[in-house]
Amino acid sequence: MIFENMGFYFKEALLSFRRNTLMCIASVISITTIFIIIGIFLLISLNFNLFLKNLESQLEIIVYLKDDISTAELDNLKNSLTSIEGVKEAKFVSKEEAFQRLLKDLGGQKDIFSIVEENPLPASFEIKANDPKMIEQIAHKVEKYKNVEEVEYGRGIVERLLNFTSIFRVVGISILILLIFASILIISNIMKITVYARRDEIEIMSLVGATRWFIKWPFILEGFLQGIISAILSILILYKFYFVVIDKIHQITPFLPVVWDKKELLVIGLALIVLGSLVGFLGSMFSVGKYISE
Amino acid sequence: MIRMFHVHKIYPNRIIALKDINIHIKKGEFVFLVGPTGAGKSTFLKLIYRGIVPTKGQVIVDGINVARLKPKYVPYLRRNIGIVFQDFKLLFNRTVYENVSFGLNAIGATNLEIRQQVKKVLNLVGLEHKKRTKPHLLSGGEQQKLCIARAIANEPMILLTDEPTGNLDPDTSWEIMQLLFHINMRGTTVIMASHDKLMVDKARKRIIRLEQGRIVEDIQKGKF
Repeated sequence: MIFENMGFYFKEALLSFRRNTLMCIASVISITTIFIIIGIFLLISLNFNLFLKNLESQLEIIVYLKDDISTAELDNLKNSLTSIEGVKEAKFVSKEEAFQRLLKDLGGQKDIFSIVEENPLPASFEIKANDPKMIEQIAHKVEKYKNVEEVEYGRGIVERLLNFTSIFRVVGISILILLIFASILIISNIMKITVYARRDEIEIMSLVGATRWFIKWPFILEGFLQGIISAILSILILYKFYFVVIDKIHQITPFLPVVWDKKELLVIGLALIVLGSLVGFLGSMFSVGKYISE
Repeated sequence: MIRMFHVHKIYPNRIIALKDINIHIKKGEFVFLVGPTGAGKSTFLKLIYRGIVPTKGQVIVDGINVARLKPKYVPYLRRNIGIVFQDFKLLFNRTVYENVSFGLNAIGATNLEIRQQVKKVLNLVGLEHKKRTKPHLLSGGEQQKLCIARAIANEPMILLTDEPTGNLDPDTSWEIMQLLFHINMRGTTVIMASHDKLMVDKARKRIIRLEQGRIVEDIQKGKF
């Protein structure tokens, strides 16, 4: 029955745009505005997340080795380190490499080392973890290994950074849920007004023997179409302004990582379209039921 | 066709609309429902199409106990009942043709059936030449005819009309009555709530008189 009449439902939904043009334009503008706000929030979250990930990826453990370590022991130690659960990679930095890095960092002041006869820097391993939360745990394990002189991992900073990022994520998700909830409420109210304006039509349909779903479908499709049109409009507007804004940000603060990848932005676009269709669909479905007399 | 057994209807505001109604209306009858305003005429009609359910008692329409009908089956009951409202309930943003086809669409008729049926009923009520007109451009009588066309489009077994001649001049009223008689002659049971003494007396049909929610008179070929 539903699919047999789909043509009729679509025709009615489209005709309704023509019969109630002003009402439809008003509701599309309102829904588009809400989606733009949600979109801006999602774009800010996406960029901030990139920034946090960047910070997290810079977290590492540096394991300084004793000078008298033999090549065999070094191999053993490397194997032990990489076999620790949660270790992503363990990169060996030789005494020589450490010295070269230091010279490079010092630039013009490297002459101060001319008085040093021997390279004073220890060899080390730079360990990256799969999950930054495991850094402390890994560091404690490594400390107990033979031939390890000292372990450095930014004690305290890691915890504070991780706390900050997790708080940010929880707050972000909460705001997003609130925004979505608010948009559902607002859209469902807009739908209620649309449906209220056509309550006679609904009443007559139910009195001539139309089933509940027969009455509901054109309204649901109309809400669905309004949702999708609003989502597409908001995506076009956001897309136009996003690159202008991040270009400006990049010029002012070039060290800040920003999302340029269109694939990542596509996810937000898709999310808005799914949200638009869902919100339009559900909003109209719930509001139309009220006026069907039985 | 329609039976009521000890039907009572009390509205939530405690107004007693109907008290102990027992009635039998046979298939193909033409019945006037008369009585002063507030006597329960509209309530009587609403009980038949399940616009409301009785507080007590049974309403049987074509063998179906309407009061116990599950909501999902109500639309199927209504497809056998045409309703003509006092306030017309026309859709003013649709044409005459669309007002009639709308109801047929709602019950899942095919496009061909809709075209044929709309043409037939618009011819019957004499509005075929105005099928592309919007209802606000029609006269009161024509609007009423359009309501009747919509109500009989799916050839219901029962036609309920609530004061159909209430706002019309005597000539137009009689025209509407002729139309209803014609529909009745074709086998449709017609129940008409009316205040129109002239029409009721002229028609000489069965009269059920309601007063304060009770049936006080039920006579064949009666007068107002």
